[in-house]
Amino acid sequence: MPEHNHSEHHHAGITRRSLMQAMTGLAAGTPFLAAHAARDMSKRILVVLELSGANDGFNTLVPYADDAYYRLRPKIGIRPVALRKIDSQYGFNPGMSGFERLFKDGKMAIVHGCGYAQPSFSHFTSMAYWHTGAPNSGEPYGWLGRLADAIDPALTSNFLVNIDERQSLAVNAARHVPVVFDDPERFRRKGLHQSRPLLDLAPQGATPSATPGSTSQRYLNSVAASAREASQLVRTAWSSYKTPVDYGLISVDLPKVAAMIAADLPTRLYYTAYRHNAFDTHVQQGELHQRLLTYVSDAVSGFMQDMERIGRADDVTVLVFSEFGRRAAENTSLGTDHGTANHMYVIGKPVKGGHYGKPPSLTELDAGGNVAHTTDFRRVYASLIEGWFGYPDSKALLSGEFAPLGIFSGST
Amino acid sequence: MMRHPKWARFRQLLALCVLSFAALGSQAAAADWQDDLQPISASDWSPERAAHLIERAGFGGTPAGVARLAAMPARQAVQSLVRYQRIANPLPAFEPSDVHDPGLEPFAASRPAATNQARDTGEALGVKVKPGGNRRMQQVADRFLYWLRASRLEAHRVSYWWAHRMLVTQRPLEEKMTLFWHGHFATSEEKVRDYRKLLKQNELLRAQATGNFRTLMIAVARDPAMLSYLDAAQNVKGAPNENFAREIMELFTMGVGHYSEQDIREAARAFTGWNYAGLEFKVNPAQHDNADKTVLGRTGNFDGVQVIDILLAQPATAEFIAAKLYRYFVREELSPTLRTRLGELLRESKYEIAPFLETLFNSRDFYSDASVATRIKPPVELVVSTYRKMGLRAVPGIPDFNDLTESLGQKLLFPPNVAGWAHGRSWITPGLLFARGNFVYDTVFPPIDFVPTDRVPNQLYQILSVADKIATGQDITTATKPDGKTEGRGAAPMSMQVDRDEDFNTRLASYHAWRKAIEKVKPIPRSTAQLDISAMLRAAGCKTTQAAVDHLLARFLSAPVPSDTRQKITALLEADLGTADLTQADSYMEDALRNTLHVILSLPAYQLG
Repeated sequence: MPEHNHSEHHHAGITRRSLMQAMTGLAAGTPFLAAHAARDMSKRILVVLELSGANDGFNTLVPYADDAYYRLRPKIGIRPVALRKIDSQYGFNPGMSGFERLFKDGKMAIVHGCGYAQPSFSHFTSMAYWHTGAPNSGEPYGWLGRLADAIDPALTSNFLVNIDERQSLAVNAARHVPVVFDDPERFRRKGLHQSRPLLDLAPQGATPSATPGSTSQRYLNSVAASAREASQLVRTAWSSYKTPVDYGLISVDLPKVAAMIAADLPTRLYYTAYRHNAFDTHVQQGELHQRLLTYVSDAVSGFMQDMERIGRADDVTVLVFSEFGRRAAENTSLGTDHGTANHMYVIGKPVKGGHYGKPPSLTELDAGGNVAHTTDFRRVYASLIEGWFGYPDSKALLSGEFAPLGIFSGST
Repeated sequence: MMRHPKWARFRQLLALCVLSFAALGSQAAAADWQDDLQPISASDWSPERAAHLIERAGFGGTPAGVARLAAMPARQAVQSLVRYQRIANPLPAFEPSDVHDPGLEPFAASRPAATNQARDTGEALGVKVKPGGNRRMQQVADRFLYWLRASRLEAHRVSYWWAHRMLVTQRPLEEKMTLFWHGHFATSEEKVRDYRKLLKQNELLRAQATGNFRTLMIAVARDPAMLSYLDAAQNVKGAPNENFAREIMELFTMGVGHYSEQDIREAARAFTGWNYAGLEFKVNPAQHDNADKTVLGRTGNFDGVQVIDILLAQPATAEFIAAKLYRYFVREELSPTLRTRLGELLRESKYEIAPFLETLFNSRDFYSDASVATRIKPPVELVVSTYRKMGLRAVPGIPDFNDLTESLGQKLLFPPNVAGWAHGRSWITPGLLFARGNFVYDTVFPPIDFVPTDRVPNQLYQILSVADKIATGQDITTATKPDGKTEGRGAAPMSMQVDRDEDFNTRLASYHAWRKAIEKVKPIPRSTAQLDISAMLRAAGCKTTQAAVDHLLARFLSAPVPSDTRQKITALLEADLGTADLTQADSYMEDALRNTLHVILSLPAYQLG
């Protein structure tokens, strides 16, 4: 499939150089460049959507021109006629009209074969690797947490928002305080009516630095303040948000993100998930999987329309990923088992749509029946760090050299 | 500040319910004590310092416990905590449910591995394949999932057992160090999938809690839970798995930056053949690589123990362990000079942990302003110390201890990854700060819609829906057809289905497994906190709302609270009671006191110990 084999290294080299030049220009005080870079970059937002449970990539974006796919999946393989074809090689799952439209509008980068060496087949372990961007290491902070610390040294409050029951490892940061909540209505303190003034009391002004415990105390007071403030902001943003856009049946928290963007919160990094291992489709996956994909596809395309509606489409990029893909061959229960490499999707108006990375071969499987990864997933992270946020040193953030893929307009 | 005879003041505190610890005694010189490892002198000892000691070396104290320590000379108080072996501590051993049997050994690596084995050999996990009929391997799939569910539920019971120990132990440092090592040698039931191994590891960590680090490190390297967690079975001659060798260098001994990838590859070879059978360590000599290895500049036909000795000889290791202990017990930030000095101390003590801790707990640095009331309590410590200070004698079943601590970010036996828990500020997020306050609310005013998740499965596997459909006579294929999140759109009419011919059905297995697991696993008792704040204040002799608030602040908080906050809380209590006189309110004051306690423990300052 030669048309997919972009020469990313070449692009990446240019990306890196031109960015470095831009940064040098900044440092040297080139006013035009500096003003532009500052204005453009400072509004940019990334929304990460995790598909937990390991989405079956082969039945999401079907390589219908490859006979091997149908040999491996005689029962659950999706017939070409049913697919939403996007070119001579690939078609989206029939449920994914939203993704089809986004791709055809040139707003979707599909990155093929994403994975890492010595892959883990544990949801938990592999997800931790993707969260930290550091497979097989003891890295305690998430890649988005490290990114926040790097691009926002001023520690802007509400910079990093994670909508879930629990904080994702992805947003763990050494210095930033991620705002983590699930239901905006419930992102609040419990407490009886008569206690509210005390519970919601603004903390006393910073205690003098000479008193014991002052640093920790000040830190806690600042989190308490930002919790109170975020709680109010989030609940206000949510209650005042109205949209005519249809996000479909399961909106994977994207309307909450839209509400906060619409309310002009200073958040630049949002993390949300299709939760509870929903994509772990071992059994009779056909209809269920299609339904899950419809939800995701509808929600993401609804979100993009909503961004257009509020005039922020140029500032928002969405990344969609899973902790791994599924086995190339179907199993005996009309489902699929844990696999390796998978697609990643980078979606948004500023994205240069198309295929990136080399599709893994379906005929050269390893002993476990899995495809070999062709693109280290951290190259996509590097693309976002450098190409989207303009932070030149993805090498330091990712503890290694991962060439960006040149996904963004103006970055090549 | 005035200097009254300390003991008289402290007796007064206990007997007459007066001022907070922070208002007592002298803190002279503590501002200059930072980084000073000299022991405090006898005259520096005070009730508030005793309270700090038990807060850090244990799970916080009650006034009586603090008074006992304060009544001893400082060194003896420290010794009573560190050299705890002499203290009788009659606590019940874990009472396992009857969940395991030999047929489960060796447990299959995955469900496909189990069913493939059944297909190939006609039997797996002690269950034979049915000679005919539909779903001939169903019982194998059932049994595989049964053990996963049973082991997980049993691990939750182990956590309850451990939390109970933390709450009532006479040797708090023993449990606290066990918790420290659990974070250091992080091992999770999520991957090990055998609570018995985790229980055994927990007992090992406790037995060696304040012993010699070399002894502990070698024991952990031979510990089945750790071997399983770090893929020992895959580490064999000719195809070494580097997982354990990497973690032992990066996380257990030296820390990053002191070794090369080549060192890891070579060290991995020294550990080849180290494995376990059941709950016992086992070396497979045929899988051990007997050729020379070069690790950190030394060459020889090393085995695992020799590699550990090479690692322990590195100054980096002593510094790494010493600094980690220091950050856990004293404070997050330490200077490079102090770090070097602490490493020397640990090496001088030949990696004996007890004398090292004694030096820390006796030091001026430990009692300096930079250290006292500056540590963010990790969730398990927050919960256990709250219960301790409430005077509870059992860990409440409502709220559920495991769900609660998980929602706060620290679930015992389920650390997030090999690195264990990140401490310090990472414990606090806006949502988590609310959750910490809401934990107190749910303890003083327990939820009335509590669902015990050790009996009722959560929504994850749709077990409830499958069970319901089977009970109403649906065929297995129809009953196990996934619902998705909602019915309706895109769902095929159920009546069109026919029961499929298949080897097994994992959704059916999920239901069977849950049913069998809760049949075997003992239920967790579900009582709420047996709280009696009225009695606590009566016993302390508190007569007024002001005295009550001051007592609760002193009893629960380490950090100071501004006086106007105290006044506002007192006013709240007084308004609730309709009087400032506790004797008058004695018969009806419990709910108001619980509300007051919720407000006090929701102060940001309560997160510090």
